[in-house]
Amino acid sequence: MNALLAVLWKDLLTEWRSRERVVAMLLLSLLMVVVFHFSLPGGATTETRSHAPGLLWVAYCFAALLGLGRSFALELDNDAIASLARAPCDRGWVLLGKALANFAILAFVQAATACAFALVFELDLTPFALELAGAVALGSLGLCSVGTFFAAISVRTRLREVMLPMLALPFYIPVLAAAARSTTALFETGALPFEPIQFLIVTDASYLIASFVLADFILDE
Amino acid sequence: MADTRIADTDRDRDRASPPRQRPALGVLIRASGAALLLSTALWAYFVYAAPLDHVQGRIQKILYVHVPCWFAAYAGFALTAVCGALYLWKNDERFDRAAVAGAEVGVLFCTLGLVTGPIWAKGTWGHWWAWDPRLTLTLVLWFIYLSYLLLRSFTEGSARTARFAAVYGIAGLAAVPLNYFAIELFGGAAMHPDNLARGSLGAGMGMPFAWGVVSGLLAFAHLVAQRIALESERRDSSWAVARGSGAERV
Repeated sequence: MNALLAVLWKDLLTEWRSRERVVAMLLLSLLMVVVFHFSLPGGATTETRSHAPGLLWVAYCFAALLGLGRSFALELDNDAIASLARAPCDRGWVLLGKALANFAILAFVQAATACAFALVFELDLTPFALELAGAVALGSLGLCSVGTFFAAISVRTRLREVMLPMLALPFYIPVLAAAARSTTALFETGALPFEPIQFLIVTDASYLIASFVLADFILDE
Repeated sequence: MADTRIADTDRDRDRASPPRQRPALGVLIRASGAALLLSTALWAYFVYAAPLDHVQGRIQKILYVHVPCWFAAYAGFALTAVCGALYLWKNDERFDRAAVAGAEVGVLFCTLGLVTGPIWAKGTWGHWWAWDPRLTLTLVLWFIYLSYLLLRSFTEGSARTARFAAVYGIAGLAAVPLNYFAIELFGGAAMHPDNLARGSLGAGMGMPFAWGVVSGLLAFAHLVAQRIALESERRDSSWAVARGSGAERV
């Protein structure tokens, strides 16, 4: 557990000092908002607003992939990844620490992106901001847990920027489907539906447990 | 903690074993090949003799190709996951050879299933594709095992490749039972019929279906054995080249 907190603190501190990942992720997601606005005909109509929850999750997904890819690539400098693997603790804690750091960074980017979406698509998110934050947090936990796991694998491959989306996206589909369904229902009715939230909780738990158990086989020197 | 961890230095050294003869594999290839020829002939006869479905007509006969493809694909993915888990446990390179063979042959049958499915769908549902739960999960399954093969291509170091692939293959297997029970799990939204129950096929349709499944599984076994033999030859050559001498059979 101490290792989890140490890795979490290290990653957040590194990001605070460099601000490399958060700026790139933010820029990508904001650019995607602009691209969505111009690729959907008619601007902020009722029809385009109905697509907003799905588009929001597309932006979140690609921002997450960008940030996750960098989270282990940074550890290749000075072979820091070998030191992480040699840490005198279960490697599962190291992986969970990195997943939580990615989750925190992604949360910041998601909040800013949601504000941009609200402005561009003329959406009033304030009545259900708390529920939206909860649904987004559950979805992001799924994206970050399995994404960090595959980032640890892809960083050891050639063409790692290509490999991470290939490995992670098939496992993102259930999370994205449930998250988009819950967000769409929230935008339409103002209340969170139970089934997709339940599905997200089960998926998140499965991904976190699998990442923890299998971490020893993917984090190596 | 330290006791259960696998030392990376041990784990990542080249585990290719010296070349050796594999008589059992040769017997399996010949036996499965001969049985496949026989069963395919019987299957072709029963498909020809099977009655036409009075609703769907001739297009229904694609059932005898489509469903056996899925049995073979599931067998391939299960083989990959089981052999991957055994590789992680035993650290024996032979399991990795079987895992890659299972994945490649599984992807082949999965692709055949994805090709024959839309042909059948166009003839019965009127359109090539529908986002029903089984179709969607099938597509996800296909992507997972294509990614598995890409992962093997892009990872450096034989032990690391085998280890990463084993982990990914095990993770991917979760999609197989989800796919098989998709109709029961997601009931209302499904366009696929329920899984076949005993006696649910019409009169005269049981034999071509059963021989289709037998032929599909025999084709799977034959191709897997061939692929394992090929992979073994490739690794034997690598072993010989790495040691700078001709491979002498032990």
